[in-house]
Amino acid sequence: MSLKPTIGIETHIELNTNTKMFCRCAVVDTDEPNISLCPTCIGLPGALPVPNKKAIEYITLLALSTGCEITSKGMFHRKNYFYPDLPKNYQISQFDLPVGLNGELEIVIDENKDYIQIERVHMEEDTGKSSHSGTGRIESATSTALDFNRSGVPLVEIVTKPVISSSKQAVAYIEELRQLSIDLNISEGRLEKGNLRFDANISVAPEDSAELGTKVEIKNMNSLRSLERAIDYEIQRQTKALEEGIEIVQETRHWDENKEITSTMRSKEGSADYRYFSDPDLPNMFLSEEFIREVETLMPLLPKAQREELMTTGLSLSQSNILSKSDEWIKKLYVKVFDQTKDSIASYNWITGELQGQMRKANIEVLPEWFNDDYLPEIIELIKSDKVSFTSAKIILTEILTTDTTPSKVAEQKNLFQENDSEKISEMINQIIQENQDLVDRIKSGEDKLVGFLVGQLMKESNGSVNPGMAKELLLKELEG
Amino acid sequence: MDASNLSIREINSLFTKKELKPSELYLKVFENAANSEAALHAHLTLFEEENIKKAAESDKRFNNGESDSLLDGIPIAIKDNINIKNYKTTCSSKMLSNYTSPYDATVIEKLKEQNTLFTGKTNLDEFAMGSSTENSAFGLTKNPWNIDYVPGGSSGGSAASVGARSSIAALGSDTGGSIRQPASFCGLVGFKPTYGTVSRFGLVAFASSLDQIGPITKTVDDSRIIFASISGEDSRDATSVINNQLDIPSDNTATIGVIKELMEDGISDEAKNEVNKVVEILKSKGYKVKEISIPIIKLSISIYYLIAPAECSANLARFDGVRYGLRVDGNTSYEMMENTRAEGFGAEVKRRILLGTYALSAGYYDEYYGKALQARKEMIDEFAKTFRDVDYLISPTTPTQAFKSGEKTSNPLEMYMSDLCTIPANLAGLPAISIPTGLSKDALPLGVQVMSKPLSDNSLLDFSEIIENEVQFDGQPKGWL
Repeated sequence: MSLKPTIGIETHIELNTNTKMFCRCAVVDTDEPNISLCPTCIGLPGALPVPNKKAIEYITLLALSTGCEITSKGMFHRKNYFYPDLPKNYQISQFDLPVGLNGELEIVIDENKDYIQIERVHMEEDTGKSSHSGTGRIESATSTALDFNRSGVPLVEIVTKPVISSSKQAVAYIEELRQLSIDLNISEGRLEKGNLRFDANISVAPEDSAELGTKVEIKNMNSLRSLERAIDYEIQRQTKALEEGIEIVQETRHWDENKEITSTMRSKEGSADYRYFSDPDLPNMFLSEEFIREVETLMPLLPKAQREELMTTGLSLSQSNILSKSDEWIKKLYVKVFDQTKDSIASYNWITGELQGQMRKANIEVLPEWFNDDYLPEIIELIKSDKVSFTSAKIILTEILTTDTTPSKVAEQKNLFQENDSEKISEMINQIIQENQDLVDRIKSGEDKLVGFLVGQLMKESNGSVNPGMAKELLLKELEG
Repeated sequence: MDASNLSIREINSLFTKKELKPSELYLKVFENAANSEAALHAHLTLFEEENIKKAAESDKRFNNGESDSLLDGIPIAIKDNINIKNYKTTCSSKMLSNYTSPYDATVIEKLKEQNTLFTGKTNLDEFAMGSSTENSAFGLTKNPWNIDYVPGGSSGGSAASVGARSSIAALGSDTGGSIRQPASFCGLVGFKPTYGTVSRFGLVAFASSLDQIGPITKTVDDSRIIFASISGEDSRDATSVINNQLDIPSDNTATIGVIKELMEDGISDEAKNEVNKVVEILKSKGYKVKEISIPIIKLSISIYYLIAPAECSANLARFDGVRYGLRVDGNTSYEMMENTRAEGFGAEVKRRILLGTYALSAGYYDEYYGKALQARKEMIDEFAKTFRDVDYLISPTTPTQAFKSGEKTSNPLEMYMSDLCTIPANLAGLPAISIPTGLSKDALPLGVQVMSKPLSDNSLLDFSEIIENEVQFDGQPKGWL
């Protein structure tokens, strides 16, 4: 029996609004508990929610950018459940009329495009944070500390249809969604801060089955690594169970980062009835045509369009994808370097390879302010015109990253300009041959690989200033002659 | 002449003419409270000490001719489900017996701006659920006309306070008649404004889509003055509306409808007679009066007892012992919440939470809550249609005079029926007023209710004042001054 997995993902994105969803408390990033609170976000008697227009704008932006149909008459619902860090013991969310319905997100895996269907995009408010003493679980805690700073922070939830078939696809989807939220400037998109948290619904069924298998939900992951491993683990677990004839139980499972396994949190039988109903404190929310058009004007160039634009410069889909998911300054730098050099591959390699590599190594987070947009094109030009070797070019880059100078100045000061004069090179070759007569003999008797060693010697003697291509060519000629 | 018997405008005129000082009136109402409180128990808290200083400031303003508010120095009682900063808000519940509000309700802010004096917080049915003020965790309130009888509810404390002249006016809240019914039982004017015209911010929610704050006063003009002071759009209440009043005729060019369904079985002859008396007067003044049938009114109680409990089941979920109010310990968080709620809520509150939870549960929503919403919408449409033919609708306020304490406590359904005439205005969001018109053979007050279309509050008050002047109800319970 051949089995196929089916995965759907629910992602919560924390929006980067200045204030909370239903009150005017500041959204704060601090470990100091309970410093940004008001009657509304801690559920005092008589307090009322008032929607944050900016948050609705952000959600609409996300819904539009994923090609969703906009529900112009959406409604806030109350999702009822008791939990100590949920101040009202209901969460204001959306139910049957979410802001966005039926969208699609283009993702890229290697050189292939794929499309993930989005079921819905809706808003909700975040809860507070509980710290349970002891095992960390509420059932066994003897005391619980509560921090309501996060209570009422706006979240947007994006739910895919069950269309994902592998952990690789899932990861590519989250990467795309994360980049989209950054480009839309609606979230910091920082996974390590929990700005994006995801739940995966996973089921396995026979390849030819028209129906999906029994689904298992894995809750609350916030790293791509967890997502990937949890999905792989769960597919394996379910596949094995089915092959052994064991029935899959519909349940919620928890991904244990340390043990790298999933374990039962609660079964479907124990799952809550949330008793959704329209929140009478928040009358029908209308997204007028005018508002939607206004939001559309705020739409930046989306990752998908960025990729298309980058591909017109000559980059491959995967290269364009990597660039589109890079920091803003890298995207901009690429465009500038390409504009000057018209060489997409050199521009791409120098930026994503050498420049980022050296910066990482040297722990440089931002380009120094003297680092002119012309520098990389200059370096690329120096190599192209054979004025410096690739090795020297790397040295030049290191220098201009740490010192306020220019590539040509560095080349001059460090004597990195390449010797392209064949007569001078031949002179040096003769010298080397004289000094290494034994090696020359061995080469002549068939040890070809020693040619490279001789070229290396030549480079060393000349402080790397000799054009290595020319040197090799001339050396071979000399040895044959 | 006793100043506490006067209307706000009369009192203000004496203040302005320096024939009476606010501090004198303040002491007078406290003297009245001292005489009546032991028998009536209208108040949960009396503010005497704290307000003497404020009364002195009012004295000064009038003495210097600097007062610009009709409510300056007027002692007003506040139902104890409306938050006054730094005072207890108990909602007559054990759950909140130790709860002090850190903020003012919008209506309180507005009254403070007018330099109103607060006399105290008045008793109510727990969380405003009830029709007799017998469901208070702190003891029941008696009717000032006859202490064997209930004052009505849930704003029974507010009505008893004004009835006994322990305050000049009072604020109540009205979810299904909780202002109008006690006003009627106590021979007072009770006005429930159009839903949304008075901010609910700071009113402890019972059923958010029905709750509305309004005045209980001796005269229609007093209600007009208070309504003008407390109404207005509030950015902290998303259900509040811009108070753009419609102008409909109040003179004899207006057409009056008598609601057939509220003049049938279940309504006492005495109550019907009051309506007929008013109708005769209006006819004699040239008003056109016709009988109007709104069959869906017969469903009012059924609709109300699905919608109000459903909303309250979520609104009261926040009382869990976690952040404030009563906490009864348990071995786990959930046990603590359960113990707290089991001990903190009274029987009627629990009954309604259970009813509402049931009505919203999976599998029952469509059958109960969903149908109730549909019927409510139909009722709104029916009223809208009716108001194309008539300007005002008239009916009894209550099916009978006040009932005896204990008479209906064992039969909740019978208790619920006492709101038959008042509930439709809440379901449809209409302004509605109860005007005292006469006494029953037991010498207890009876009233009639007038309703009009949304946002015609001022016209409704004008029209009601005409009835008030014609009826000449001499509304003063004996023995308290």
